[in-house]
Amino acid sequence: MGYVAIKGGEEAIKNSLAFYEEAIQTHQNIEASFVENALRYGVDRVMSEGSLYSKKLASLAILKSGGDLLNASFFLRAHRSSCARAGIAKTIYTDDMRVARRISSAFKDIKGGQILGPSNDYEVKLILKKTLNKTVWNEYKDEDIFVESALKPLRDANMVKTLPKDKTISDITRVFPSAPYPRSAVMQVMARGESGSMLGFAYTSMRGYGDIHPTIGDLRLGSCEVKFTHPLTKNEVKIGEIDMTACEVAATFEKQNDGSTKLTTGFGCCFGFNETKAISMSILDTTLYNKSHTIGQGGIADNFEMIVHHIDGIESQGFTNHYKLPHYVTFQADLQVYENAKNYAKDGEKK
Amino acid sequence: MRYGFLDEDAKKEIRRATLKAIAIPGYQVSFASRELPIARGWGTGGLQVTLSIINEDDCLKVIDQGCDGSVNAVNIRNFIVSVTDNATTLDTQEATIIQSRHRIPEEPLKEGQTLVLQVPYPEVLTNVEADSFKQKVMHANSDYAKLWVLLYEDTAQFGDSRIGHRYPVMVHDRYAMDPSPIPKYDTRKLHNNKALILLGAGREKKIYAIPPYTKVEPLKFEDRAFKVESFENKKCARCGASGVFMDEVHTDDGTVKYYCNDTAYCDKKLEGKL
Repeated sequence: MGYVAIKGGEEAIKNSLAFYEEAIQTHQNIEASFVENALRYGVDRVMSEGSLYSKKLASLAILKSGGDLLNASFFLRAHRSSCARAGIAKTIYTDDMRVARRISSAFKDIKGGQILGPSNDYEVKLILKKTLNKTVWNEYKDEDIFVESALKPLRDANMVKTLPKDKTISDITRVFPSAPYPRSAVMQVMARGESGSMLGFAYTSMRGYGDIHPTIGDLRLGSCEVKFTHPLTKNEVKIGEIDMTACEVAATFEKQNDGSTKLTTGFGCCFGFNETKAISMSILDTTLYNKSHTIGQGGIADNFEMIVHHIDGIESQGFTNHYKLPHYVTFQADLQVYENAKNYAKDGEKK
Repeated sequence: MRYGFLDEDAKKEIRRATLKAIAIPGYQVSFASRELPIARGWGTGGLQVTLSIINEDDCLKVIDQGCDGSVNAVNIRNFIVSVTDNATTLDTQEATIIQSRHRIPEEPLKEGQTLVLQVPYPEVLTNVEADSFKQKVMHANSDYAKLWVLLYEDTAQFGDSRIGHRYPVMVHDRYAMDPSPIPKYDTRKLHNNKALILLGAGREKKIYAIPPYTKVEPLKFEDRAFKVESFENKKCARCGASGVFMDEVHTDDGTVKYYCNDTAYCDKKLEGKL
């Protein structure tokens, strides 16, 4: 190996990119609209983790990244930074969601009923054998369905622990708060967190490092209206609808400061249809704000520092991959320190 | 595309954070940190600082591990040029802004220049205290006892600190600071440097600074010398320079050769300009 000439880098990355693009160029034959429809769960995940609601851009990003969803989310985040923010939309209440699916595993019968909707929960995962499911669609009504949360009756009966509301709502994309983190910031971090990381952390609380044992009180998928105050007319206008998933879990009972005993719950919600992420988020919300009974504190999913700083896919992916960058200066420095320590140990033996 | 990629609100915010950082040397100022088209951990903190301070008259130099031609340096330089159309240079003297990863150039910096260092771990206390709230309290109280204990334990076991790079420094007798992963050879250059040194951590969302002519000292016991990397009796196999930070290169025939790590310095030396 000769001396690494300084002009090599330019050519090398150009060629490397060309190789990469050639390797995934088959996507030239695929329309972004095909991705949007056929791979909707991928698209939804990218919108959620990329923190930008655009099915069109998310589909394009999936194509541009050859199906690597983390990279696709990264495209959306980068794009987001070049967009000015118009303002803050009105609060969306997921109870007002036009539901496509709503289930509760806490109650057998609930107001509005169990609506299974589109789900692959009971799909038998046989990759080769495929029989078409024929549905008699006309047996179903096609009117919009709105149902209150299955946990509402418990809340109305004052059985559910409530947390104090933040006085001002954080925007983590404008000011990232220091500890102790406001709840709105924590929820925002989770709403755009990486599904797999959140699943992993939530799972630790289910086996081994916690005992919250969540029961899904209300899990819903559907679309919500986004309302905005028009900057000129100051009228409230509907600017569109977004698909969302929301989940409320009920956990255990906890003694409150006023001596009463209340049911603890957690909430999760994200862009698009992503049940695993919404459930994971609702579990993390529960573990963060309620103490575990058996292991007390010292779990993994009950640690704000742990969750707030380690679930962002764009950040963890970027940093993990940065170890591919050259580190020869730092390694050289480490080697010299090691050499000194080795000599120090040797000198010690002589004595 | 907007000049400097970031929207104006973002630039304003980063400039404000930067000004605050300069006003409190060594103190980490939080900022929102935008995602960039370059991955987190690849220099997005430095990039955001550079993109928010650069103007049309600036001449830019980008280095990675001492080298202007390293893939990441090329990539970052190309990106900045694509969103600013600014002039670039390899010459340390010519540059008004130098963005660097893991090195401070061999040629001394001068007044009016800005060195932007990319930072992976801005928090010097991370290895001794993981909780960011407690870290903040420790900084507020100038309580660096845990760092001293770490230094003591290392010295007792290994004769010296085990920290090879990003050696903790004390800035202006007040804040302990992580100087980014520069070798100890470069740590000394932080002291009374004529240039403004800005440090940006994108993923960790922190900006901090060492203004020109600031007292910066490595954290060490007063009866122990601060040992830097040494390349005694080594000469650059290309330009013949000695007494600089070297790359150790293992050749195919099994011999070991040494070259200047700062490639721009090596070029200049070879051309007889130094």
